[in-house]
Amino acid sequence: MHHLRWLLVPLLVIPLGWLLLTGFARDPREVASPLVGQQAPAWTYETLDGDTLSTDELAGRPYVVNFWASWCIPACVDEHPVLSSAYQRGGDELMIVGVLYQDTPADAESFLARYGDAGYPHLIDATGRLAIDFGVTGPPETFFVDADGIVQAKQFGPLTDALMADHLARILPSAAR
Amino acid sequence: MIPSMGHASVLIGLGLTVYAAVAFVLAARGGDPRLNTSARRAVIGSFVAAGIGCAAMVISLLTHDFGVRYVAENNATTTPPFIGVISLWAALEGSILFWALLATGWAALVLHRYRDRYRQLMPWVGATLATVNAFFFAVMTWPGNPFALTSPVAAEGSGPNALLQNHPFMALHPPLLYLGYTGMAVPFAFGVAALVTKRLDEEWLRIVRRWTLIPWTFLTLGIVAGAWWSYEVLGWGGYWAWDPVENAALLPWLTATAFIHSAMVAERRGGLRIWTSALVIATFVLTLVGTFLTRSGIVASVHSFTQSPIGPWFLAAILVALTAALGLLVWRLPDLSGDGRPSGTVSRESAFLLNNVLFLGLTFAVLFGTLLPLLVAATSGDTISVGAPWFDTVTVPIFVALLFLMGVGPALPWGTASWSTMRERFAMPLLIAVLVTAGAVGLGLREVASLGTLGLAVFVGGIMIDEVIRGTRARARGRNEDHATAAWRLTTRNRRRYGGYGVHLGVLVMAVAVAISSGLASDRTVTLAPGETVTIGGYQIRHDRLVVEPLSTDVRVIETRAEVTYSGAQNGSLDTALRDYPNSQAAIATPAVRTSLAEDLYVTLLASDSATGVVTLHLFVNPLVVWIWIGGAIVGIGAVFAIWPERRARRVSVEQRQRAPAAASVEGA
Repeated sequence: MHHLRWLLVPLLVIPLGWLLLTGFARDPREVASPLVGQQAPAWTYETLDGDTLSTDELAGRPYVVNFWASWCIPACVDEHPVLSSAYQRGGDELMIVGVLYQDTPADAESFLARYGDAGYPHLIDATGRLAIDFGVTGPPETFFVDADGIVQAKQFGPLTDALMADHLARILPSAAR
Repeated sequence: MIPSMGHASVLIGLGLTVYAAVAFVLAARGGDPRLNTSARRAVIGSFVAAGIGCAAMVISLLTHDFGVRYVAENNATTTPPFIGVISLWAALEGSILFWALLATGWAALVLHRYRDRYRQLMPWVGATLATVNAFFFAVMTWPGNPFALTSPVAAEGSGPNALLQNHPFMALHPPLLYLGYTGMAVPFAFGVAALVTKRLDEEWLRIVRRWTLIPWTFLTLGIVAGAWWSYEVLGWGGYWAWDPVENAALLPWLTATAFIHSAMVAERRGGLRIWTSALVIATFVLTLVGTFLTRSGIVASVHSFTQSPIGPWFLAAILVALTAALGLLVWRLPDLSGDGRPSGTVSRESAFLLNNVLFLGLTFAVLFGTLLPLLVAATSGDTISVGAPWFDTVTVPIFVALLFLMGVGPALPWGTASWSTMRERFAMPLLIAVLVTAGAVGLGLREVASLGTLGLAVFVGGIMIDEVIRGTRARARGRNEDHATAAWRLTTRNRRRYGGYGVHLGVLVMAVAVAISSGLASDRTVTLAPGETVTIGGYQIRHDRLVVEPLSTDVRVIETRAEVTYSGAQNGSLDTALRDYPNSQAAIATPAVRTSLAEDLYVTLLASDSATGVVTLHLFVNPLVVWIWIGGAIVGIGAVFAIWPERRARRVSVEQRQRAPAAASVEGA
């Protein structure tokens, strides 16, 4: 009977530990994107190179839209090589489009000069219109669009190689990871 | 060079605290007494190490050494020196470094102060404090290294947290709160030591009460400063939002307050030993939970730092501390129960006990509301939030009941109160309270909650003032002193009691200010073109013009500013702005607050159109808000008065005579 008092310890510790532990499984800032499963917004924008790019040119190809900024340190710096290597490995099968989020072209160019430019285009979203269309709350955020133009996945926060592979599997026909 | 020095000092701190913990345990178990001395010196050394670490970080911030990742993330070449210094606690790793400085400081202070006393207790106190501090150094050594380097080195950093830059209060609120949080490890350490050595006696209570009151004072001031900061910076016109992290600071405050009160009964009447030690343990564990909620990023709030690998470490620390302390308590349960002296139903003891029940009720209510979103997310996956209305509904009645007890409790005698004492002490204050409330109704105040709080506050304040007057008169008559001398001597000879009254007085002022400001505040949202005028609460507000320009102190920050003139009870002009910081997702409000003793005029810019100069403003007239901060200051003064050491002269002999048996029981065996 007297030993029953020891039950008090696990009775208090285990539920509290479980409750706080479950908190790690999710990010409270993450907002489920209503875009997933929907048609991606259409757009036409000038790129950093001075060309113009629009969704029409991407029709029939899966693509990745990555919102980033030169001032987004360290997250955008951390995920930059992940995007670059995915782009190089993806070849013709995969298009990656960067979008400058509240950033100036000059700052973005010096970022690319410093951290490496894999060669994929970056849209100048000067008015923030595209970020609003995609419901971006802050960089980095990345959207994965399949060949039919449907958003299949959204990454909130920096990408890692493993996350990249997971998301790409949803939009690429073959395993080009 | 400087960063490596900082990193080295963290490693040295870890080594010293681990050594101190082990050496203290060996000393406690009958080892060489020199172990005790060397362990104490190691703790003092860890304080020096943390100091060097903080200095290294501050130098790195001031010299914009972007090779250090923390500096690159929280500093820019344009950052002013003052902001650079306080960026020490702007983000996760730096704040843990600062935390370690304060925690080792408390440990060094306590161990040094009691170096020749309580020989049984102190090694365990030292071991506990050193273990807690070793945890913080370990966090900085592995998952949260503040001196982690980055490569390639950026030419420009991302600049400090926008909220930190926006108001000088950030220099005050976090350090006060951290001093409170870290200081609560001291009573916890005494609790653990007493449970291990079975020395939960009056002497122990006296020390722990004192060492709880000191961090309690910092915690109180930290919470009030945080509320003030929130009011001046966040732009929503309020000061307390029941945000999870605000609650996290309130929770240990509630249990610590309950402890301070229950310790008085325990000291006076004996008993309550399980209860008091449980409160000490709960307070410390709740400070860890509070840190965990802030540092791990599992709740979204203005306070939470980004998600980090530190979370699991804190979770482990909470569970280890809780398991160990509860285990100790359960182990000692058979030795601790019983032996309080009986007392009447209506007495000061029973008022104190009711006070504790209410404080515990508040703790559970706030804890439940804070953790419920986590619980729901864990079980059903849904996202819910528990809002201010729920917290208000649940906690306000308990706060009102506490307010009532605050007046009645200290005026009741120990033992049993007779009907005639109660009539003598309460009749007059009650009469005055009824008259004042009636007067307030006559002046147009109709809000029931505000009227109730006002009446209650007058009643409670009346009881306290009556007590002081009574005591002063008796002393003046008995010792033939004039009234001023008698009042001064009365209060300074019993600092604990009258300091407590000061704290209560501050709480009363705050309670009335909160009740009236929330009951009588007026606000409206208006859209104005340049030159248009609007009225609110007796003020004429005119929107003069809209300006969008970079901030003169930092050109990377774009300020959208409405220039407004106002006339009424106060006259003048004000600027209210939204600031767009490059590293902040949302624009940061910079509300204009014009404070007077009677009311605040508070103007926030919500939206603007730069083409036409049209702005949308949120206007508030908040009565008496400044009295919340004044009340907070009175609480602080009262607490310092209570903590201040009593004058030794004349008392020493009396005290020694009284304490001799207690001291013998501590030092003996």
